[in-house]
Amino acid sequence: MTETLHGLSDLDRVIHEPARLLLVALLSPVESADFLYLLKESRLTKGNLSVHLSRLEEAGYLTVKKTFRGKIPHTEFRLTPRGRSAFDQYRKQMGAIVAGKKSQG
Amino acid sequence: MEQQIDSAVKRGRAYWFVDGFAEMGAGALFLLLGVGVLLRGWIGQEGWLSWFASAAIDFGTLKAVTLLAAVLAVWWLKDRFTYPRTGYIRGKSVPQSAVLSFLRNVLLLVILPVLGLAAAVILLPPMRIVLTSIPAWLPVGIGALWGVFSWLTGTWTGLTRFRVMGALALMTGIAVGAWQMAAGFPALPAEALQADWWTAMPDALSRPLIDTLNRMFAGVGTMTLVCGIILLASGLVTFLSYRKENPEPYREDA
Repeated sequence: MTETLHGLSDLDRVIHEPARLLLVALLSPVESADFLYLLKESRLTKGNLSVHLSRLEEAGYLTVKKTFRGKIPHTEFRLTPRGRSAFDQYRKQMGAIVAGKKSQG
Repeated sequence: MEQQIDSAVKRGRAYWFVDGFAEMGAGALFLLLGVGVLLRGWIGQEGWLSWFASAAIDFGTLKAVTLLAAVLAVWWLKDRFTYPRTGYIRGKSVPQSAVLSFLRNVLLLVILPVLGLAAAVILLPPMRIVLTSIPAWLPVGIGALWGVFSWLTGTWTGLTRFRVMGALALMTGIAVGAWQMAAGFPALPAEALQADWWTAMPDALSRPLIDTLNRMFAGVGTMTLVCGIILLASGLVTFLSYRKENPEPYREDA
């Protein structure tokens, strides 16, 4: 039980927040995605989405690239190697915690 | 929790198929190829070699042109229809090691067995009887390969409809194989069975070989046609559902 709790306290808090976890999970299988894709898939509000993306960018987990598609501004988000590694690590830790809890139960 | 994360990851992988355009493009490609293969079965040729050469040229050209047209059409449609509605993603570039591994698997699972069978048929007279049964087992083999590919795509993306299409492809292959088997196979003359095929192809073999090839293409053509119709239908249903959910392009002020 104690080890499980220690595992919980070691979790990456940037990713552990549900909305940010969803965003990182959505970005993980692709090279990059635009704001509209993340908005539609996450179903967050635009303000909320912007805040969480900024938080991930501050942590060095994603990069932002602003371009134009024709005359329309287009913003693409891409997970950095650090972000991918943090996501993989988080999944491993969660898997271990869940497996530990199951074996105890 | 893990399931929810996995589901979010699979949504990204499945996004290419969200609008049904890719399936409709593949369906149109299959449909055209199926019709082409069936037409080939009806057009007679003098010798089996000229038959085979012209068929290879026809299908190669048809496949290349249709594939290019389908890919360009899908990109164009996605750019005009899908991306303004639900956004744009850029797929991960495939690493060179994955491409090499895929090519190695194709070589091991498809090309080597075909070459092995061809060598066995030429060098081992008892194996020659297998040749005329190609119209029965080839559609089953293609159906199984396409079925496995479709099923794996369904598992990778979490899209159940691909698993259903995989099962349908396998069933279609089996049905076509059974139909060809029920129709019976062309008989190979005794002298053709015993002759040395390595140095000279006996004339007596020409007719049964052309019959076998025509039957093979009738079976494969029918199978390709049915798979094309299934893909088109699936793509159309997906497209209609997507359009219903996203009738208008996204607007900032909405």
